Amino acid sequence: MLEYLLMGAASLLDPAMLLAVVAGVVGGVIIGALPGLTSTMGVALLIPVTFSLPPQVGLAMLGGIYCASTYSGAISAILLNIPGTSASVATMLDGHPMAKAGEPGRAISLATFASAIGGIVSVLALLLLAPQLAEFSLRFGSPEYFLLALFGITVIASMSAGAMEKGLIAGALGLILSTVGVHPLTGTMRFTMDLPTLYDGIPLVVSLIGLYSIPEVIDLIRRARTSDGDGRGVDRSSPLRVLPELMSQKLNLLRSSVIGIIVGIVPGVGCSVGGFLAYDAAKRASKAPQTFGKGASEGIVASETGNNAVTGGTLIPLLTLGIPGNPVTAVLLGGIMIHGLRPGPELFTTNADVTYSFIFSLFLSNLLFIPVGLLLARYGLRVVQVPPAILAPIILALAIIGAYAMRGSVDDIWVMLAIGALGWGMAALAVPRAPLVLGLVLGTLAEGELARSLALVRGDVGAFALQLVTRPICLVLIVLCTFAIVHGIVQHRRNSKFLE
Amino acid sequence: MIATLKSTLAAMCGVTAIAAAAPAAADYPEKPITMIVAYSPGGGTDTAARTIAKYVEKHLGQRLVVENKAGAGGQIGFSALATAKPDGYEIGFINVPSIHLVKKLREGVPYEISDFDPIANIQLDPVVVAVAAESPYQTLADLLADAKAHPGELNIGADGPQSNNQLQLVVAEKALDVDFNFVAFDGTGPAVKATLGGELAASLPSASGATSQVESGRLRLLGVFADQRSPLFPDVPTVSEAAGTDVNSVGASMRGIAAPKGLAPEQKAVLEKAFAAVMEDPEFLAQAKSAGLPLQYMNAEEFGAYMSKADAELDSYVELLK
Repeated sequence: MLEYLLMGAASLLDPAMLLAVVAGVVGGVIIGALPGLTSTMGVALLIPVTFSLPPQVGLAMLGGIYCASTYSGAISAILLNIPGTSASVATMLDGHPMAKAGEPGRAISLATFASAIGGIVSVLALLLLAPQLAEFSLRFGSPEYFLLALFGITVIASMSAGAMEKGLIAGALGLILSTVGVHPLTGTMRFTMDLPTLYDGIPLVVSLIGLYSIPEVIDLIRRARTSDGDGRGVDRSSPLRVLPELMSQKLNLLRSSVIGIIVGIVPGVGCSVGGFLAYDAAKRASKAPQTFGKGASEGIVASETGNNAVTGGTLIPLLTLGIPGNPVTAVLLGGIMIHGLRPGPELFTTNADVTYSFIFSLFLSNLLFIPVGLLLARYGLRVVQVPPAILAPIILALAIIGAYAMRGSVDDIWVMLAIGALGWGMAALAVPRAPLVLGLVLGTLAEGELARSLALVRGDVGAFALQLVTRPICLVLIVLCTFAIVHGIVQHRRNSKFLE
Repeated sequence: MIATLKSTLAAMCGVTAIAAAAPAAADYPEKPITMIVAYSPGGGTDTAARTIAKYVEKHLGQRLVVENKAGAGGQIGFSALATAKPDGYEIGFINVPSIHLVKKLREGVPYEISDFDPIANIQLDPVVVAVAAESPYQTLADLLADAKAHPGELNIGADGPQSNNQLQLVVAEKALDVDFNFVAFDGTGPAVKATLGGELAASLPSASGATSQVESGRLRLLGVFADQRSPLFPDVPTVSEAAGTDVNSVGASMRGIAAPKGLAPEQKAVLEKAFAAVMEDPEFLAQAKSAGLPLQYMNAEEFGAYMSKADAELDSYVELLK
């Protein structure tokens, strides 16, 4: 083991490796920060480029994109209130309010360092515990997935502080929208209005763009008549000054990392859920939960640590079992196979040189996006000084291009605009939008896994109910769900009383 | 006067048309060719398409640019190919039998199989029967005997619904007179994972999707749905061999190149030649081998014949998929 570790670390001294990581990280930061360009797309488009590179170099580049793009969605989420990727939706809840309050630099620095810490802890888990953790992922069957999705949905309570009813309505709306498209088990078309673009369901990235950028554009246009920009100075404080603040949140960092890693190990759940669950846990554990949603640093830290910790987690079942956990790792699997490597135990023995260099390159990627992201943000910060009359058309153009670029489909632009109209209505009525995203992300998972759980027992509801209370992971999840709901109700009652 | 003008114009148009057509035949292709892929970047189809696109450039003399038109289980991309201009600069990567299944299972699909002009088949990925290493089923006969004793009770999982894998299952059920409980998964990976996790009696992944698990000893293959044993797994019998009954292997996933109908014969010949050449290119073959792409070349005629045969055969199974 020790010699493998040394070998992996030594490979980083290879200039080709360093160059690959730098290229991957720079590309990843840009891809992640632009709404509509996703990590999956970035990795997929680079795979042909990596054909001609030695395997460890090619994989280091892909790993760099994966880590960096998962992080950099936070930049646009904080500065523009538009999530660059779905992983940064929870970051936005506090990141944007903090930026609006005149501290965009602090918000971005917090997000950057927290992402790096989450990423590094998860790579450590990958390095040291991969085989043990992989067995855990196999014990996750359909009933477990169903309950995990249900638990994720309870997070809605945290996303809608002070407006519980509105939050629940938004969450329900998300769940309803998630039923559009082909039924996951039978193939029946539902609510597709005969539009092929809706057959696979309402596209998540396209809806995110609409939901957040259109209301922002409308708001900017309205302000354009009255102002020439915010008149705020650019936040020029040193990014390093957030470090003591971050270090005072050791527990939050650790908890969020662990949550992210667990979510990553369970294939098929994804980075955004890691961020949501970590945010929820931080809020519940916080001494000042009422500050969440208004620019709480704990919220930004939890979400960013959590979503980047998913990256290392997803690589565990990928490298040990060959099971990809999300679209990016599915593409990465293709990239690994193209180099003639087969996931499994031999990846850690026969091909240990490639595998350990790849893992060590991930440490480097997670460190390197700190300067790259902060540098990009340094210029990005000026966005707040751009007059609304100029910024609005730019955002609108990016939104349209982003929606189109997803699948090269003009119909998706219309879907984006329709969801945008919905988002504008929600923003105008002060209905929180994050629960809708959560419903959309988890609705499909919950419904599909419930149907699959029932199909596995041939429709016998009694047998399914018995599984829920006899399988150990199911029991843990049921306890967590119950706790979350009861806690949510108690918290809501207390808040209502306080208001009265 | 007007008549003269008209005829002059007509003549001019004719000349321009000929002038435009002449170099097209001789120098084709004179600019990059777009290849529509009906699935999203990074999937199995896309990776295969990008690999061949990279290596065919040398034989084509122009770049082959992959354009992903993903969505609706391939319908969006296939429809885009069917309605593309047959000028030789837009071709597509098509998946058989998906292209047939989409057409037969849905209402209002805006293409016909006759809208496509097959050029070459590149890949043939058979469906395999896989069980976990610790499964009690040592042979296909064991699995079938248990299925006969417990009709409709054994769970069998695969990518789905309405996929080529499910098609292969219903074909086999009919031929072998057994009844499994089919459970659809969101892709081959999750179905394989559920097999390893003990949720399924067996699963029906594509051969390429099972390779790494078979090599690591976690999965055991009981049979391959194919006419001949697969070079990837020479020790695994074909299903027909193991069951003693002929089972049609129409569920095998094929990936090939097609153009929209109406391509000029000279252009078609250029494309056919380029794809035939790349399938013998040692560099491409080495790359495909290391990436685990199961190659199977068919020329335009063979590929077209396979598609017509598959199209006719599917009619008797399509009801079973609904």
